[in-house]
Amino acid sequence: MNRNGPSGFTEADGTIENSSNHEISTLRLLTNSSKHTETKSICQKYPYVSAMEENFAPFRFVYPEFLPDPNIKWRNRVREKLERMDMLKRRSNLDIPEFYVGSILSVTLSDRNAPGKTNTFVGICIQREGTAMRSIFTLRNIVDGHGVEIAYDLYNPTILNISCLRLEKRLDENLRYLRDAPAQYSTFPFDMVPELRSANVPVPVNPIKVKLNPRPWSAKWHLWDLKGVEDSSEQILEPWEMRRFDRWKFAEGFDTNKYDLMRAYRSTIPAEEQTEIYNEVHQQLANLSASLRKQKRKRTFLKPQKTV
Amino acid sequence: MTSSLLASALRHFQNGRSILLQNASVVGPMSNLGNFQSLNGNNTTFGGSVTFVQTRGSRVKTRLTHPRNTWPKRRRERNDQELTADNQAFLNKVVYDKYGPAHFDWRAENTGMPFISPLKQIIYERGEWEPRSIRTGVIGRKIGIHPMWDKDGNRMLTTLVQVTDNHVLKYIPPETVEKNYGPRFKRKDVGLLLVGAESTDPQRFTKEYLNVFDESGVPPKTKTARFMVTPNAKLQPGTPLYATHFKVGQRVEVFGHTVDHGFQGVMKRWGFKGMPASHGVTKSHRRGGNTGGGGEKARVWPGTKLPGHMGNRWRKLLGQHIIRINTKYNVLYIRGHAVMGEVGSFVTICDSFLSCAEEMDKSTLPFPTHYPEESEEPIPEEYYAPNIYNFADPSIVFEDKR
Repeated sequence: MNRNGPSGFTEADGTIENSSNHEISTLRLLTNSSKHTETKSICQKYPYVSAMEENFAPFRFVYPEFLPDPNIKWRNRVREKLERMDMLKRRSNLDIPEFYVGSILSVTLSDRNAPGKTNTFVGICIQREGTAMRSIFTLRNIVDGHGVEIAYDLYNPTILNISCLRLEKRLDENLRYLRDAPAQYSTFPFDMVPELRSANVPVPVNPIKVKLNPRPWSAKWHLWDLKGVEDSSEQILEPWEMRRFDRWKFAEGFDTNKYDLMRAYRSTIPAEEQTEIYNEVHQQLANLSASLRKQKRKRTFLKPQKTV
Repeated sequence: MTSSLLASALRHFQNGRSILLQNASVVGPMSNLGNFQSLNGNNTTFGGSVTFVQTRGSRVKTRLTHPRNTWPKRRRERNDQELTADNQAFLNKVVYDKYGPAHFDWRAENTGMPFISPLKQIIYERGEWEPRSIRTGVIGRKIGIHPMWDKDGNRMLTTLVQVTDNHVLKYIPPETVEKNYGPRFKRKDVGLLLVGAESTDPQRFTKEYLNVFDESGVPPKTKTARFMVTPNAKLQPGTPLYATHFKVGQRVEVFGHTVDHGFQGVMKRWGFKGMPASHGVTKSHRRGGNTGGGGEKARVWPGTKLPGHMGNRWRKLLGQHIIRINTKYNVLYIRGHAVMGEVGSFVTICDSFLSCAEEMDKSTLPFPTHYPEESEEPIPEEYYAPNIYNFADPSIVFEDKR
C-alpha cells in the first residue's frame, strides 16, 4: 500500500477565495471539517491520526461511491483506478450534488418516449447502494395515490440533471419502511422549490419518528432496529416471541458485533486507504463542483410549450 | 461421413488453438478441449469461417491436460537457511543485473508496460497478412466488471481483462511441430508460438525451466500459453504483446478456467428442481431422486448427473466483443460479465473464427502484432467502439424530430 505524501492540501487552502458557491464544496470539507465534529481536533485526541486523514474523513459521506467494495475477492487497484477516472469524467459533465438518505431530489432523464424527450421525477431518497459506476439511489414519491419508487444509476449518461431540493439526513440508513407508512410521509410535490441553505451549517438530521400503518406489513419492521419509526414492538410481539427474538439477536451477535474488530475490518475500507483515494481525487472534485454549479445556474431555461 | 468427421476434427483444431500449460514444454500434446458438438456442417474449409453451436453435456471429460514426464520440472526446492544474508543479497544483485527489476506485481497499481521493446537485434522478418492467416493471442488477468452504456442509453456490463507483461518466448516452425505431433495435428502448415505473462524471480525455478526462457532473454514467467499461428504471423522471441494487439469492435475467443464452486449438490450443479419443502416430503428436498430405470441395463449409467465437484473447468467463450481498450493500463473491456473465473484468474484471448466475426475486416488488425514504438502519432489513452458512450462526452440527449 503506497501512501502518497500530502500533495494538494495546501493548494486547496489557497483557492478558497476563488470559490463563489453557496452550497457545499469539497474545499469547505477540507477546511471546515473540524467544526462539524468535536471542538477538539481528532488529531489532538488521537495522535496516530494524521492531519490529512482528519481532513479527508468527511469525504466518505459526501462521495461514498469513490470507495471500493471492501470484499477482498473483488478488489483490484487497476480497476478501481479506472473506475475513478471514469467517475470524474462523468462528473465533469453532470453535477452530482451531496445528498443522503432522506434528502429530497429531483432527477431529469432523457427519455425517448416522453413528450419533450425528458422525464422529471421528484422523490425522497430511500436508499443508496453500490460502489463506483454501479452506485444506485432510489427515489420514492406518491403519484396519483400510488407509491412509486424509481432506482437510478448515479452515473447513467441519460441523466441530465440531479438537484437536491432539500438536503437532510434521517435516523436510518434506508427508508424502506415508508412503504408501510401513511402517504403523507412519502408525498412531495413535483414543483417543489429547492431550499437554500448556507454552506457552513452541518447537514441537519430530521429526527422524525414515522408512525407505521397497522399490520400486515411488507417486512417485519418491528424486528429491525429502526430509529426513525415509532416504537410499538411491545404491542406487536407476544412475550414468547420477544424471548425468541432476543435469543436470535444473541445468536447473531447483535450486542457483540461492536467488539468484533475483524468484522469491522472486513466491511470497511481502512482510513489510510480512504485518505489515499480522496487525496487522489479531491482536487479535481473541487474544480468540478465550482464550475458546474455556475453552469447550472446559467442553464435555467424553459422549453417553449404548445398552448393551443 | 468421413468428410464431416474430418470437418469436425478441423473445427476442433481451429477452435482449440490456445491451451494453458502448467509447465512450459516446447511441444506438448494437442488435446481436445471440452465436449463441442457442431450442428451445422457447412463452412468447413481450412482456416475458413465456422458456424458453431456449443452444447453442454454431462459426460464431459474434466481433466484434459496432464503434467507429462517430458515436461521440465518447474519449481525448485529451496533451502534458504543454507544461504547467508550476504550471499542472498549477491544473488539478488546478479538477478537484477541480468534482468532488471524482474518482478511484476499484478496487484499493484502499475501502468501497462512501457512501450519499449527489449529486442536489440531484429532477426525474424515480419510477415504480411494474407487471407486465412492466424495471428497470436495474449494472456490476461480478469480484474473486474464495469458497466458501460451505448449512445442510445442502453446499459451493459463489461469484464476488464488486463494484459499483464506479455512476451513471446518461442516460435516452433511447422516442420518441428509435425515431427513431434504428427498424427494428432491435422493441419501441417501451422507453427506454435509460446507466450509468457508476468515475470517473476528466477531463483524460484529449476535450471531446466529457466532454459525455456533463454531464447527470448526475458525473465521467467508465471504463466505460459501456446498459440497456433501461421508462419507469416511468427514473432521474434522477446517481442512484447500489448492490449493494442486487438482492435475495438473486434470479436475474440476467451479461454480460461471457471470459478471453483467445490463439491456441490445436484440442484446447483445440474439445475435440478428439488422437491417441495412440505406436503409429506421426507428428507428429499434437494436430492436428485431417481437415478435410472431397470431392465437389462439395471445400473446407474456412467455420466448420470450426480453431486460432485463443480467448476474449475477449462471453458471457451466464442465471439466476445471488445468494446473499449485502455492503452495506459493495457486493459481490454470485453462485453458481458461472462468471462470465466474469479477476479485475478488468467485467461487467454485470441481472434475469433466465427463467421459473424468476419464483419470486421481481418486485414485491418495489426499483423503480426502491434508495435507501439513504431507508430508515428501518439497512441490515444482510450479506444472506444463506435456506438459506445464515452464518459467524457456530454449527457445523452434524444432529439425531438418534430
